[in-house]
Amino acid sequence: MKILIVEDEIDLLITLSNYLVKENYICELADNFQKADEKLSIYDYDIILLDIMLPDGNGLDLLKTIKKYQIKAGVIILSAKNSLDDKINGLDLGADDYLTKPFQLSEMNARIKAVLRRRHFDGSNMLTFQEISIDTVGKSVTVHGKELILTAKEYDLLLFFLINKNRVLTKEVIAEHLWADNIDMADNFDFIYTHLNNIRKKIKHAGGNDYIKTIYGMGYKFSER
Amino acid sequence: MKFLDKVNRNSFILLTIILIVSSIAGYFVLRHVILSETKESLIEKEILLRKQIAETGEILNLYPSIEVEKLSRLTSKGPEFREIMLPDDNENELEPYLEYSIEQKIADTYYSIKLRQSVFENEDLVIILAFSLFVILSVSFGISFFINRSTNKTIWADFERNLQTIEHFNFSDKKKIELLSSDIEEFDRLNRVIEYLTEKLKADYRSLKEFTENASHEIQTPLAIALLNLDEILQHNLDKEDFKKKITIINALKRLSMLNQSLILLAKIENRQFKADKLISFKDALHRKIEEFAAFLESKKLHVELKFEQDFMLKMNGELADLLLNNLLSNAINHNLIGGNIQVTVRLNELKICNTGETNSMTDATIFNRFAKGKSKSYGLGLAMVKNICDTHDLEIHYAKDKLHCFTINKKIN
Repeated sequence: MKILIVEDEIDLLITLSNYLVKENYICELADNFQKADEKLSIYDYDIILLDIMLPDGNGLDLLKTIKKYQIKAGVIILSAKNSLDDKINGLDLGADDYLTKPFQLSEMNARIKAVLRRRHFDGSNMLTFQEISIDTVGKSVTVHGKELILTAKEYDLLLFFLINKNRVLTKEVIAEHLWADNIDMADNFDFIYTHLNNIRKKIKHAGGNDYIKTIYGMGYKFSER
Repeated sequence: MKFLDKVNRNSFILLTIILIVSSIAGYFVLRHVILSETKESLIEKEILLRKQIAETGEILNLYPSIEVEKLSRLTSKGPEFREIMLPDDNENELEPYLEYSIEQKIADTYYSIKLRQSVFENEDLVIILAFSLFVILSVSFGISFFINRSTNKTIWADFERNLQTIEHFNFSDKKKIELLSSDIEEFDRLNRVIEYLTEKLKADYRSLKEFTENASHEIQTPLAIALLNLDEILQHNLDKEDFKKKITIINALKRLSMLNQSLILLAKIENRQFKADKLISFKDALHRKIEEFAAFLESKKLHVELKFEQDFMLKMNGELADLLLNNLLSNAINHNLIGGNIQVTVRLNELKICNTGETNSMTDATIFNRFAKGKSKSYGLGLAMVKNICDTHDLEIHYAKDKLHCFTINKKIN
């Protein structure tokens, strides 16, 4: 999968590309409007991460170039502006999703995977980890081939874990993923524990292993070890 | 009080005073003139009478007009005028007379002469004259008053329209303010000043808005870089202490970023940068929200009671409506007791959310202040936002605590 990152902050550009390369994506970088415009007219990409405030132009104008050359590509806008105008503008002009800075890598990964799923139906709809399989089209989970009945939130949570396997996810990151970040629930994250326990029980009941590790009571990690 | 009413009232009071004073003054002046004329005519009559007596020696008596008596000698009385009342022959009423009495020596004989003239008719004349003066003045004042009023109205009509334009002026409007020009110099001067000031205000407002947005951008980007890198470090094997410290740093940075976003959002709500583009049904919206919050409600074992009498519909921005309900419900959950209650009531033009909770020192006056937070770990901006949204949508919000902590939102009745 090929990703173009358009971002004028070099530090951010490098951090993002380091992470995405580790996640087995092929990354190309553009730190201004001009470079991005050139690359878009020459190469094909699956995903374009687009910062809309660029020193030499507005990222929203790049969306027009993308529409022209990159029919297959999914676009995720990265913006520090949470101004609703930009969000609506961007989505109207054909962007697939919108991430407000600061965001977490795990969240970005989940959004990229979701856009890829929506854009390419060829086989990328199955996620498997050991005995656990998720069919993202049918939104069903099986353990050892047996179907697991999960609530919508439990499904979202398990999918988030599978996409970000072997990665430490803090309670805050999970809460932000499951609920809009404007829900002010800083006081209590117990509900995550409740959801996790339910998933653990259901997987165990279906004969699966417990892959959800608790890290010092502050975060979780989905892994074999 | 309107300007025209004020001007009209003042001129009306002034005219009334002038009218009354001039009528009274006119009455006295006329009366004085007539009296002195009467006196003169009495004196002339006396001269004629004296001549008559000197020539003929006859004493003429014509009561009540002329009364002549012979005297043995002169008393010390000088000539004098008196106003006296005498009975009328026909009607048995007293009538006013002006009496001129004088003692004279005519051909070695002393006479007392009393001449009288009725002033009754004269008095009538004075009143009629004063009355007609009053009528003439009031009619002319009345006419000028109405002429003034109608010209004033046409002169002020454009001003009134301009005033309305200014009242409906919105900073976020891109259009230039357009005022009607008139042929009155002062009004045109005022228009020019207002046009200049609004343009200046708009320019300042735009640059301030751009500055806050850019500042937010500049703050969020380094925060994003710091957070992303911390997230990467978190993935390495860390001992418990290091892990804890990193989580503390991450949460502190997140808090900073949230705070920044919330303050910008507050400013945007205050600046009315959100368009009311959706008709919100609070009944439907609350149903959805309660479902969304199910996990939070469950984790605190909260019981929710919903009472819907009649729907509360309001035209507002969809995102703001969402934010309003999010913040109110978050508040009701965060400050609730384990196993507590939440009561949601929707009536026509009223929304009420009550929850059980610990006592606090907050009042209706302080609870909506920015950074007013009780024991909670929140930012203390949620309710400030709620208040701002209410203020910008003609809604009133009140907080009251009895057994329950209650927030009531009402549509403002104008």
